[in-house]
Amino acid sequence: MKQLTVLITGASEGLGKSFAIESAKRGLGLVLVSLPNSGLEHLANYLRVNFNCKVFYIEIDLTKNNAATEIFEKLKARKIKVNVLINNAGLGNWSWFEDKSIDFYRTQIDLNITNTVLLTRLFLNHIDKNAISYILNVGSLGGHFIVPKKQVYGATKSFIGYFTRCLQLELSGSNVHISLLSPGGMNTKPELLIMNNELKGFAKATILEADYVAKTAIDGMLKGKKEIIPGFANRFLLLLDKIIPGFLKEIIIRRKLKSILTA
Amino acid sequence: MEAVANKYLRVLVTGASGFIGRKLSFALAEMGYDVIAFCRDIKHPFLINHRNIQFVKGDVLDPVSLERAMEGCYQVYHTAAMAKMWCKNEQDFYNVNVTGTRNVLDCALKLGVERVVHTSTCGVWGPTLNLPVSENDPRAVGFPISYERTKYLAELEVKEFVKKGLEVVIVNPSRVYGDGPITDSNTVSKMVTGYINGTWHFIPGDGKAIANYAFVDDVVDGHIAAMQNGRNGERYILGGTDVSFNGFFNTLKQLTGKQRILYRIPVSIIKAYSLLESVKSRLFNAAPFFLPEFADRLKYNQQYSSNKAIAELNYRITPFTVGLEKTINHFKPD
Repeated sequence: MKQLTVLITGASEGLGKSFAIESAKRGLGLVLVSLPNSGLEHLANYLRVNFNCKVFYIEIDLTKNNAATEIFEKLKARKIKVNVLINNAGLGNWSWFEDKSIDFYRTQIDLNITNTVLLTRLFLNHIDKNAISYILNVGSLGGHFIVPKKQVYGATKSFIGYFTRCLQLELSGSNVHISLLSPGGMNTKPELLIMNNELKGFAKATILEADYVAKTAIDGMLKGKKEIIPGFANRFLLLLDKIIPGFLKEIIIRRKLKSILTA
Repeated sequence: MEAVANKYLRVLVTGASGFIGRKLSFALAEMGYDVIAFCRDIKHPFLINHRNIQFVKGDVLDPVSLERAMEGCYQVYHTAAMAKMWCKNEQDFYNVNVTGTRNVLDCALKLGVERVVHTSTCGVWGPTLNLPVSENDPRAVGFPISYERTKYLAELEVKEFVKKGLEVVIVNPSRVYGDGPITDSNTVSKMVTGYINGTWHFIPGDGKAIANYAFVDDVVDGHIAAMQNGRNGERYILGGTDVSFNGFFNTLKQLTGKQRILYRIPVSIIKAYSLLESVKSRLFNAAPFFLPEFADRLKYNQQYSSNKAIAELNYRITPFTVGLEKTINHFKPD
């Protein structure tokens, strides 16, 4: 098989970092993209010396108007060909709608939606359509449910879900495999490490480590899976969602919301 | 000379009854420092008496007691931590390691302490994927182990205080061994005494998993060197020698002259057993012998490079056989 080279956005921390390590372990070439001063250089060096792989990194703010164009121009100038795209960069929130500013929402939508669409569009121009290539879009299990305090985030992830499924239809029969990753909660950012650890029982079982999610996701992507949901508890949750009638779910969510509102 | 130079300089050591803290207090006292040994129990059997050591009762979770003890200290060594594998109350890890550290640093900033050395751990990096880990390397796996997670969060607290203007140097010891009390957090002493007494019977997995063993005296010297020469806000790995379980027990065999039959137990069996232990600890709130997150770790190497400390702090590593021999002699009945 041809050498695979993967472009990973948001590669410096969290799930993105785990994607980078997992890809390096498998001997893929790497192009890491993240914000300036996010420690990409150290990560790149670590991967080069530990796994003897080729690593190129680009420090850029993905919400910039022409970020996607700039990335592919840089690759062209360096004569680097990528054939795997992992649209991982994203911005989450856990807050009431009125608690965040319009700048926050603009950044969130630009990063989660616009950037994913534009990178995917340019990636399809960049690849050799006669060889196999892969796209992995990071959605969220939250994209399947209506979760209060995740109003914009959940909506952007629903967008990613629709976008990915639609492209799967459009690109069926081609050499481009496109997968949707719908992970539940993960132990990534410091505040999540604290919050997730306070969970109990089933809720705790839905929380996964990023290295496990990255491994499962890349396995699934290479197999051409349409949607990847890591973790048994999360798959179970989605099954429940499909079999429980709508009005019951409404009641459950409202009761849950009530307890949050009165807390 | 040094004893005169340091005389009357008052320093605080938190966790003074701990494996590192007690020897650090003693070493500083020998150098002529006026040591305030901060601990929850001033009658603790592990404390070492010295005319330059003054035991002060207190708790890192009690800011008032901290402030009283830290008054007039010009340097602080923060070695206190919850370093056990398991706690009855899981929240203790966060409280002691994160809130406790925040309290110590808060107090130091308020009282104008010149410098703090914060004792972290190589556990903030966890397992090695290929080459020995050095300070700038990322953590490759998640944080299922509470001790590692909370010590990582404690380092983030340190970074916040460095931004606020407090001088703090972080040291990251690896698996510390040496003469000293046998405690819950000291697995090496358990293996050594168990081997000597013939009560230790197993080697995990194929015995090839490598860990890094740091001799306690080196780690103590590394703390003092970090206070003197470490760069503000930097981290320094204070490690030792990379040794596999097989190598560890072979060295023990040679040094003690005792031949013991050790059974190699597959990691999968250890994992299965640890799952039972985990259920037991959850149902009865009783201390488990082993936990699944530690069983998973047995599949990995944990190798760390001390090159930065060697270059910048003149850190020295005692050869493993020398350090282990001292440890064995300490436990041998006279």
